[in-house]
This record gives sequence, structure tokens and C-alpha cells, in this order.
Amino acid sequence: MLCLAGYNLSKSYIDSDQSIHVLADATLEVREAEMISITGQSGCGKSTLLHILGLLDMPDSGKVVIGGKEINSQMPEAPAVRNKEIGFVFQFHYLVEDLSARENVALPMIIAGQSSGASLKRASELLSSLGLADRLSRYPNQLSGGEQQRVSLARALINNPKIVLADEPTGNLDPQHSSEVWQMILMLNREFGQAFVIVTHDRESARLASTTYTLTNGKLSLC
Amino acid sequence: MNKLERFFFTKYLEDPKRSLLKFSFMFMVLGIVLSVAILSAGLNLFQGYESSLKDVLLGSFPHITIQDANNEYLGTEQADTIIKQLKKLPQVDKVTPVINYAVMVSSDSRVRGASLNAYDFSGAYPFPYSKYVKEGSNSPKVGEVIVGKYLAKELDKQVGDEIKVIYPQLDRISAMGLYPSERRYKIAGIYSSGFYESDRSLVICNLSDAETLLNINPSFAKLEITLKHKAIGSADAIAGIIQKQLGMDYAIYPWTLFSAGLLRLVAMEKWMIFIIFCFLVLIAGINVISAVTTIITDKRNEIAVLKTLGASTASIKKLFAYQVGLAGVGAIIIGQMLGALLSYFVEKQGFYRLKGDVYFIDSLTAAISPLNQIIVFIVAACLVAGCIYYPLRQIDRLQIIELLRNS
Repeated sequence: MLCLAGYNLSKSYIDSDQSIHVLADATLEVREAEMISITGQSGCGKSTLLHILGLLDMPDSGKVVIGGKEINSQMPEAPAVRNKEIGFVFQFHYLVEDLSARENVALPMIIAGQSSGASLKRASELLSSLGLADRLSRYPNQLSGGEQQRVSLARALINNPKIVLADEPTGNLDPQHSSEVWQMILMLNREFGQAFVIVTHDRESARLASTTYTLTNGKLSLC
Repeated sequence: MNKLERFFFTKYLEDPKRSLLKFSFMFMVLGIVLSVAILSAGLNLFQGYESSLKDVLLGSFPHITIQDANNEYLGTEQADTIIKQLKKLPQVDKVTPVINYAVMVSSDSRVRGASLNAYDFSGAYPFPYSKYVKEGSNSPKVGEVIVGKYLAKELDKQVGDEIKVIYPQLDRISAMGLYPSERRYKIAGIYSSGFYESDRSLVICNLSDAETLLNINPSFAKLEITLKHKAIGSADAIAGIIQKQLGMDYAIYPWTLFSAGLLRLVAMEKWMIFIIFCFLVLIAGINVISAVTTIITDKRNEIAVLKTLGASTASIKKLFAYQVGLAGVGAIIIGQMLGALLSYFVEKQGFYRLKGDVYFIDSLTAAISPLNQIIVFIVAACLVAGCIYYPLRQIDRLQIIELLRNS
């Protein structure tokens, strides 16, 4: 069953009076429990594709369908869909400095209108399952890079989203921490059937996914 | 306040050290603390001045004065009849007959102009100003006087010393020129009301001494009415009632005729100072604008992620507003406490005294009025809130995608 799809997505930018086409009729369908990786050279439009699929950016043309319904970033319901249906993991953890790991993870649930007590309880469980039980009250600056990214992963998962979009989730980590995060993602996909779309320039890691695409000249092709 | 806003608000209150004590807030907090302290201290001191002046004016002068419409002396029987009538009024506390005249006072080679007030100290009539006699006796015997503090100082006299009171008798000119009436009196007490003009010129004596000095039969120049505390503000209306009762043969003067304008002027000055000092808070508000702008710039990533996670722009603005607002409220409260401390020190300091001949009273007093403090808090909070709101509008313009691309 399709949980997210982007059809004929096109996007271009104007740079020094020149139009740069980063996406040209790119189409991607993601099914439940599927793990897709997208590779490509730097600046080829991988992140742009992810932003459009995640309702953070508007395509010039084409459509995004989530849960069978066409939607785009300008629609009033887009924030709620981003909150409940999609989980985000970025290259940089983007954790709120003034909140502990547990509080950071609880944020999407609180934004969804759940009580802070229930959200913090769920966040603790999630962090414990990701091996961070002893880091619940630590602040982002007291965590290692790998731990920060695992907290970020837990935050993406707390609302049980249909899909997690990860933009270079290990791009800022050393090989050891990078491996830890990848193992975590694979475990979540294998044991909980969590769907992932992961953008990475690391071709070796990308092969760990069930389906791998390459983005070249704005078009997606299966590897 | 939605759940996200309440969550952050609680977090700021539970962990202020981490959330509010930030370096970027330091100058903002310092600016608010200092400006609110000055505003608060200024208002406390002006309030103190206004209260002291009012207390002195209402405590050392009659609330209503009655005298003959033609400036004739009131006979003792006539005065007693009026006093009996006045005592029936529930608002009247005391009625005191008095003789007063302009005289000169001399001691050795020093001569000063003075105002002689003569009261009955036999107990037949009350003497309402005994609380202001700070040294010696408040009930002078025949041949004794009570002298104003500064007058005694200018004449270099103390309790027990003698002074000469001279009445020029301008209507009695002999072949030798003016023929003044003069008598020597022993100083029985020193009068100190805090009202500079009275303390510099007042001489209080017995009625019989005044009658001898002024060469008049037993009579009174006027009747001084002291009203009950709650009725002081209605002196105008009570004067009207008395005027109706006594008729137009008498001139009735409520205290408001002489002093209300001065008190209104002082009150107006107080609020003028308040408005001027409010501009200091507004200047401190520039630091608030700067602090909020810095925070928004520093926290662009957090704004991006909150927007990505589905938080509304209005909610994100409120999170920043609560954070800076709580720091601002803390700064205002600290400023008010510092202002109270500052006004206390100004009151207690001994190196600067008010010039009594300019400001009527010679001591600075501070009065911390709860109402004034509430007004200071509300005005400062509104100014700070305005300065927080203005830069927060930047968040409206921040697009998630731009924030993510630039980070």
C-alpha cells in the first residue's frame, strides 16, 4: 500500500539569470515498510526532492500524494500532515538547545496536542529502545554526535509516522557513529516495518536499503 | 496557550537558569533593571514629597478659618457662640480661637520678621499643634513663647533663652516717631512642623501676652477649625455649610483655597517625572529589540525544526515572547526592588537636604505606594511587551525551506 508518492515533480532555480532544473519529471512511490535510498552527486537535487515530498517546499509542477490524498506545502493542513504522517531526520540534528533529549523527542507529540506527561513518557520509552535510557535528561550539548542523531531519529518516530524522510542522516558523523545510526534505521525498518526515504551521497550505505535510486539530471533511476 | 506553549512556559519557569539567564539577555535585563529602578525611585520620592507636603499642610494649618467679614476682632462671647454652633457639626474635631499678627523678633543685634500666633493654654480651648513642639514645653506659661526651629537657629537661641518681640504699632506715631510695643519672653519650646515657612517665622504665645503686647481687649482674630480626618477632603462643602449657618457677616476660608493648587501642581509634577522616566524604559526597550533579534538569528535552526514539526508561526512567536517576557518581568521586579532600595538610601542619606525656602519642606522622604508600583509594573511591562512584539514579526517572514537551505 502506498504511503507517499511524488509524481512528475519538477523544480528549477534561477541562479545568475540562468535557470537550473534540479528536478525534471521525477516520480517516486514509497510503500509501507519500504526502505528507499536516493543517491546522487552534491547539488543534484536530492534534498530538494525530499523537501518537496515532506511538504516543506513547492514543486514547479507535479503532485505529492500522502495517504491517498494530494497535498502541497501551501495547504493549511500541511503542518498537521508533517506533524503526524511524516518524520524528519536532517544532516544536522536540529535539537532545541534548551530542552533535554527526552523533551526534544516529546516535541512532535506535544505539538500534535498530546499532554506533556504522556509525551514525555512515550519519549522515554522510545529513547530507551534506541539505547539512550541513560541520556534522557541530557541536553544536546552533553550528547555525542551519534547520540544527537539517535535523539533526532526518536523525535521523527514518536508520532508513529507513515514515513521517515532522512536527509544525509549520517553526513555529519564519523564512521563509527554513522554505522550505529544506519544499524538503528535498519532495525526500525526490519522489526517495526517503518518506511524510510533516505538521501545520502554514501553509495555503500545506500545499498543497505531495499530500493536504491540515483538522481541524475533531475530524473530518478533505479540502481 | 496551547500545549506546546504551556510546555515551554513551564520549562522556562522550572529551569530559569538555563532558559532565562543567557548572555544575550544580560544587557537587556540590565537596561530594564536600571531604568525601572530610576522610574520607581523617582516616583517613590515624588510620592513621598507629595505625602509629606500634604501631611504638613493639613497638620500645621487650620482646615477651615473663620473671621469677621470686615476683619474686626471677634469678642469672646461671640466666639463662644460660634464655637458651640460649630461643635454640633459631626465633621468638626476641634475649634481653636487665635490672635495672630505680624511682629518682629530680636535677639542681641539680630532682628527677624515673624508671625505671632496666640492661643489659650489654660485648657479652655484646644491647642492643635502641640505635636509639632519637638523640644521643651508645648504649653507656654505667661511670659513664655514657643519659637519656630529655624527662627531660633537664626537668632541663635535655645529653650530657656530670652527673645524680644516687637510690635511696631504703625497707627501710633508720637512726636518721637514710631512708638513700638515690645516685651521680652522666655523660650519655652521649639516648634518644628517640617513646613519651612512656619518653622522660620512662627512665634506662639499665650492670649494674655498677645493682648498686652498688642494692647487689645480680650478678643480673637479668627477661629481655626480642625476637621476629622475623613472630612478633610470635604473642607469646601463643610465651609459652605458653615457659611450658611453663620451668614455673610463671616468670611470662611477652607484649606483648599490656599493649598489645593500647590498639591495639584506637585501631583502633576510627579506624573510628569513619571512620563519622562518612562522614556528611559523605552530606551532600555532598544536592548530588548536587540536581544530578541539576536535570539531569532541564533535560533533559526530551532525555528526551522519547530515549523517542520508542525508548530504554527504564532506559537513559535509566543515561545520567544514568553522567554524574553519572563526575563523582562524578572528584570522589572528586580528594578522595582532596586528602586525601593534606592529611594530608601536617598531618604536616609545626610549629605543632601531640600532647600526649604524653595520646596516648602526640607527633608526627602520616600513613600512606596502599592498603586504606584502596580502602575510602574504595568507601564514597564507594556513597553517591554511592545519591544518584544516588534522584532518577533521577523518570524512571520522566515520560510522553512530558506532556513534549512541556509543552515
